[in-house]
Amino acid sequence: MLIEICKLKLNLGTHTVLQDVNLTLEKSQIYGLLGPNGAGKSTTISVITGLRSLTGGSVRVLGLDPVADSLQLHNRIGVLAEQAGFYDWMSASDYLRWVASLYQIRPDQAEIAQLLSRVGLEGQSPAPIATYSRGMRQRLGLARALINQPELLILDEPTNGLDPRGRREIHDVLLDLSVNHGVGILLCTHLLDDVDRLCTRIGIIAQGRTLLEGSIADLLSAQRAAVRYRLRVESGDVTQRIPDDITLLARAGDWWHVEIASHIEPASAWRKLLDAGIRIDEIHREGGGLEELYLSVTEAKEVSR
Amino acid sequence: MNTITLIARKEGGELLLSGRGLAWLLALSVIMSVLSLLLVSNTELSLLDNAQVVYMVMGTVTALGALLAVVLGSDAVAGERERGSLMPLLLAPVTPSQIVFGKMGGQIAGWLVMYLLSLPYVWAVGSSGQNLIQAVTYLALFGTPVVLGFGFLGIALSARLRSVRSALLTSLITLMLLASPLLLGPSLRQSTIGQLFDAVNPFSAAVNTFDSVVIDSQPLVMQLTRLSIALVWLVLTAVFAIRSVRKMEI
Repeated sequence: MLIEICKLKLNLGTHTVLQDVNLTLEKSQIYGLLGPNGAGKSTTISVITGLRSLTGGSVRVLGLDPVADSLQLHNRIGVLAEQAGFYDWMSASDYLRWVASLYQIRPDQAEIAQLLSRVGLEGQSPAPIATYSRGMRQRLGLARALINQPELLILDEPTNGLDPRGRREIHDVLLDLSVNHGVGILLCTHLLDDVDRLCTRIGIIAQGRTLLEGSIADLLSAQRAAVRYRLRVESGDVTQRIPDDITLLARAGDWWHVEIASHIEPASAWRKLLDAGIRIDEIHREGGGLEELYLSVTEAKEVSR
Repeated sequence: MNTITLIARKEGGELLLSGRGLAWLLALSVIMSVLSLLLVSNTELSLLDNAQVVYMVMGTVTALGALLAVVLGSDAVAGERERGSLMPLLLAPVTPSQIVFGKMGGQIAGWLVMYLLSLPYVWAVGSSGQNLIQAVTYLALFGTPVVLGFGFLGIALSARLRSVRSALLTSLITLMLLASPLLLGPSLRQSTIGQLFDAVNPFSAAVNTFDSVVIDSQPLVMQLTRLSIALVWLVLTAVFAIRSVRKMEI
């Protein structure tokens, strides 16, 4: 087990910031830590990395106590914090070499170039970091997190500021690390698309408490949430013929936005539409069950406040 | 290379090779040139004797060094936090003591350059006197712990107050309070409170030593109490800085 958090509680002064946070992450797993702004995700990361001492519960990371064994732990993990700051007057390669030396690592020029290339910063190394765009700084932050070949990678909003191609490249890097190198990844993000593509397990926290935790497949199957689709159908006024299990949410020309009730399979729904004489030319899934799951869990928490 | 040296080299390079560091050295040269010119003119007109002129230059160099130290110290932690570069340092296998002493390494480099830069000015105003060697030696012996103590104080406040502006303001007020004996008149300095303040004030210890050694030609053995005040100041501020960085909130 790379991370094992059980009933974590954290007080800052008289204010309880985290209570009953639970999380388990195993080797080669990518875990999505989700939650609204101010839910306690970054604070949970600060406890995992040993920057804050917990008030109650237990936290073990790589089998270590994050506070008491912080030096040992920091040698074995890589972290990309939400605010990725650098020494702007240095070049990327000089900066990475300097960071590596803090880990007592002496990478040669080729290794630094390979790392920069891996995060999509090849050919940028002579320029000072001050000239970098937000997306480039994010990539450099990821390179910094990988400098010590960590067993556990903790990433806070890693695809912030990246264009679609950049996001895809970072996804590929993370999948390679997880699948081929056995690295466990804790991904803290607002982008459900990132979670959908990368994670096998998620935890949703709100108001400092874990609301839901488990594998995405299990949670979705337990939730049985309604799923939304975008369909391109034949022209004509055929909306009266839509079966009861399918709800038409919006219509723009030939495009329909529909929601399929949780108790029927999508294939059956399409069959019912066809049987009703509605020809379907294209089907696109929208948002997916994960979005519905996230919204239903966090909205329920909001209502209960 | 150990971690303290790595951080110190980075800090020293950032200070001495950046526009900020070069601007500081230029400002220091201008201030020292103007001051030396005025003091040499006074000596030529017999308004001040040579020893007094050397004493004033030594006090000025120490005050400017302390000013540089509080500016750098105030930025050391809070500045890195504001620029987002503190978190990666805290997440590397580095202890709070290594961060503090590494950052002090950069300040030592800054003070060393200031000290070397001031030597020609001390020589220019004091070359015709008897106590030039003592001046150079005591400036290093007493100026160094006082200046570096202010650096540690700046780092401590920078870690506790979380903002460069607050840390700088508090450090500067402390520096002005401790340097106030230089501004107090003789009658205030002779009062009980003035004497008590002088007895525990590291800045006074350094400046009074410069006075005793350069003007009154006293030996080192008579300055040991003052030297111990300066060293205690250095140790206490170092401990304060380490504790502050260790306990700082993210």
